[in-house]
Amino acid sequence: MTLNTWIPVLALMTSLIASLVIFALPEKGYRLRTAVNLGAALLKLGLVVVMVWGVFRGVGYGVSFTMVPGVTFVLKADAFSMMFAGLSAVLWLLTTIYAVGYLEDSPNRSRFFGFFSLCVASTMGIALAGNLFTFFLFYEMLTLSTYPLVVHRGTEKALKAGRTYVIYTLTGGAVLLLAIAWLHGVVGDLPFREGGHFTGSDPDIHRSLTLIFILLVAGLGVKAAIFPLHGWLPQAMVAPAPVSALLHAVAVVKAGAFGIVRVVHDVYGVDASSALGLLEPLAWLAAFTIIYASVRALWQVDLKRRLAFSTVSQVSYIILGVSIFGPVAAVGGLVHLLHQGIMKITLFFCAGNYAETLGIHRIDEMDGAGRRMPGTSVAFTIGAFGMIGAPPLAGFITKWTMGSGALAVNMDWVVVVLVASSLLNAAYFLPVLYRLWFRKPAAHWPHERQWGRLETSAWLFWPPLLTAVMTVMVGVLASLPFSPLSWAELIVLREYSP
Amino acid sequence: MMLPEPLLVIMAVCLPLLYPAMALRAAWERAMRYALPVLPLPALVLALGSEPGWQLEMPWLLNGGLWAVDGVRRLFLLLTAVLWMVAGIYAVGCLRPDHLRRFCVFWGLTLAGNLGLTVAVDIGSFYSFFALMTFAGYGLVVHEGTNEAIRAGRVYLVMAVLGEMAILTGLLLASAAAGSQMLADLPEAIAASPRRDLIMALLIAGFGVKAGLPLLHFWLPLAHPVAPTPASAVLSGAMIKAGLLGWLVTLPFGEVAMPGWGALMIVAGAVGAIGAAVLGVCQQRPKAVLAYSSISQMGLMVLMVGVALADSGRAPVLFSVIALYALHHGLAKGSLFLSAGVSLPAGAMRRAVVWLLIALPGLSLAGLPFTSGALAKLAMKEGLLENRLEFALAGYLSPLMTAGAVATLLLILRYLWTLSAKLGTGHNPPMLVAGWLAAVGVSLVAFWWMPWEAGGLVESPVWLPAPYQLWALVWPMLIALGLALLTLWASRLVKQR
Repeated sequence: MTLNTWIPVLALMTSLIASLVIFALPEKGYRLRTAVNLGAALLKLGLVVVMVWGVFRGVGYGVSFTMVPGVTFVLKADAFSMMFAGLSAVLWLLTTIYAVGYLEDSPNRSRFFGFFSLCVASTMGIALAGNLFTFFLFYEMLTLSTYPLVVHRGTEKALKAGRTYVIYTLTGGAVLLLAIAWLHGVVGDLPFREGGHFTGSDPDIHRSLTLIFILLVAGLGVKAAIFPLHGWLPQAMVAPAPVSALLHAVAVVKAGAFGIVRVVHDVYGVDASSALGLLEPLAWLAAFTIIYASVRALWQVDLKRRLAFSTVSQVSYIILGVSIFGPVAAVGGLVHLLHQGIMKITLFFCAGNYAETLGIHRIDEMDGAGRRMPGTSVAFTIGAFGMIGAPPLAGFITKWTMGSGALAVNMDWVVVVLVASSLLNAAYFLPVLYRLWFRKPAAHWPHERQWGRLETSAWLFWPPLLTAVMTVMVGVLASLPFSPLSWAELIVLREYSP
Repeated sequence: MMLPEPLLVIMAVCLPLLYPAMALRAAWERAMRYALPVLPLPALVLALGSEPGWQLEMPWLLNGGLWAVDGVRRLFLLLTAVLWMVAGIYAVGCLRPDHLRRFCVFWGLTLAGNLGLTVAVDIGSFYSFFALMTFAGYGLVVHEGTNEAIRAGRVYLVMAVLGEMAILTGLLLASAAAGSQMLADLPEAIAASPRRDLIMALLIAGFGVKAGLPLLHFWLPLAHPVAPTPASAVLSGAMIKAGLLGWLVTLPFGEVAMPGWGALMIVAGAVGAIGAAVLGVCQQRPKAVLAYSSISQMGLMVLMVGVALADSGRAPVLFSVIALYALHHGLAKGSLFLSAGVSLPAGAMRRAVVWLLIALPGLSLAGLPFTSGALAKLAMKEGLLENRLEFALAGYLSPLMTAGAVATLLLILRYLWTLSAKLGTGHNPPMLVAGWLAAVGVSLVAFWWMPWEAGGLVESPVWLPAPYQLWALVWPMLIALGLALLTLWASRLVKQR
């Protein structure tokens, strides 16, 4: 076994071992726990950077062994896994910093950070999984490790949300397992492969393939929150802000979207999916989700609930992008995996800051908060404009690329969806920004805390600002090598000309 | 003179873009106020000191960035820089201390957008700067925080977002048709595209929101007057021109004659020029009259855009006339808006001088001989001579221009009338006066040294019109004066009863 075999395993292990160590640490070991957390996050980031560079140059990283005859466990790093792994590594680091500040003095931190690391280990596994079976293992591990985070507060509402979450995701998992087993029965164990496996496949199995595809998408669509499987997500926002940030931006919804992209690109292959007539219905479903969730977001008065519906809408961009049969649109979809993550985590960090510092949860309490918390509010503003798709931010690059791609393959209606979504995003974000910057603040904030020099705790202050800067940078510098856009182009190049 | 243009252009855009960072420290509030006039300085140096022809490539920016300045853009850049500078001087004097930092932040961002879009040659950065200007401009509109300002801001924002979306869709379609991310490739591709009419409609409407095209103009007479006076000046003088520039750099001029679109724009321009005057003279508040005057003046420019669309051969000539007209109007309108905030001095002689200085830029708009307006109007007349044009509506242009000139002066007289009821006697902050006098001086005097081109349309010496030209300029003004006197006399009669 060479080093290249071990690097993906190590990247997976960093979070896993960190998780075990944290569980073992006493509740009071604040400094040690923080050190372990940050150390592991930094180490993982380093490993991912090494792999990104390697994958770019064409180095193969991977390990596989047979579990039972016919079923293999495969870890493998390709361009697409590195996109998800990179997102997970960068945002895990920032979320850890944020969570340390957010949970200061709250009970059960040991449990929280343990499951937190476990959850990140699962996303790493999902990213590096080399076949559907391995993917499924980590996908379920993600469900189990996020449940304790969702119910962390232990309130009635949290427990109820947790119940909904588990029912949705376990059912989704069961459907996914059924689909994977069926597929295994039909064609055997298939590794993920750029270009897929079913181009020019036997017409006899087309019927089965179509049904399996529907089941796969249904199973994965629960986490990706595709309509009508999105019901758990707005409820799950009762979780603490860092968890929401992680659920929405990185771990759970992205795992679903990532899985769907894997199925379309690397199991079936875009050509075969398109030939089977599977892409167009998926595109319509995604488009409907985009519009539907944006309309729902308009009516939410709770900030985090509004953001949750926004997530439902935005994640479907990724699915819309891959279900348009054309390379440029696919780039637009894939790049949104990163873009949405960065923008949405900014917004959730900010929502958490308002809640922790001023006790603000509802949008009508946000009047004039821009003067009290300018840094957070600038970050929120950038995130919101990014979501709207205002240039030159991340969301604009997504929309421009996807729109160009859709036009290139004569799917003009996609542009209408993109514009309608932008308008709806403007309709539900701009009033919030107006309140932040132009309304007079109420006499008292609902529950204000003071932190000295900065507007809030430094642990909470810097992460959203950093991600806001990233939101600007990934847009402005979109044409640099290793920008999300360039990386998505690399993935698609390898997919469309395997 | 050789200048490092790429460095200058980066400074021109980044200085106002980074300036809002000063708001981080409350102690810098004073410095922030006094920095306002300095922000457009690099852009001014760039516009005056460098010959067009350089370009700055930034392949890492968005989808590939390219900034450059050509003859037309140079005039727009000059107008933008000059107007923002005099308005900045004025703002130093007139701004009240409440929410000063917020105002300065939005001022810097809006300026960065306005300057950036005049130098951006790639679609991505052009649209980015356009959007930055639009959204940051909201902060200027609602700054006063009155109910009226908030309502105006809401209308502004709704129209602006719709406009942005139309522009985005139009640019997306055009860029896909061209297979390019550069503005320069769009006109040809639009002309050849099967979706030509859709793209044209989207771009005309999208930029038309900013340019105050009739039916898309609702926000303008609400938003321009409620902003603080220096912001009104830049809104109505410079930012309104961004819509015009948007048309000039994207629509397929000179590619293929489009009599249909040309006729539509000519009609729209005529409706704007005359309709806005009808609505404008009914306004009670001076700044609202000026806002309608802006729509009316933009109508004349829309008219020329329409002719350039209809007659592709004339487009290059008309481009320089449009740029000249935009420069003239921007400077004069800026001075007029700034005059709305001055107080009159004591003493009849001084008052007379102030009134003269208030009135002169207005009369310049109406085409008073020896002013920039006379030059612009003559150039427009020559540019639109019907015997040189080949399309159906050409015969109506001359009477339309005359009607436009009458409308212009009527609006100016209305402005002076409403202003005289409002202006109080008192002391002006020195910077306010300096800003206003600078604006008037630039509009009346410095204009003649600016690098506009009359394209051989107006016989030299330009500042001394030939007798027949003099008459052409003056008789619409006489009509307007007559109409105004008639109105005055009629209202006296009504009052006496």
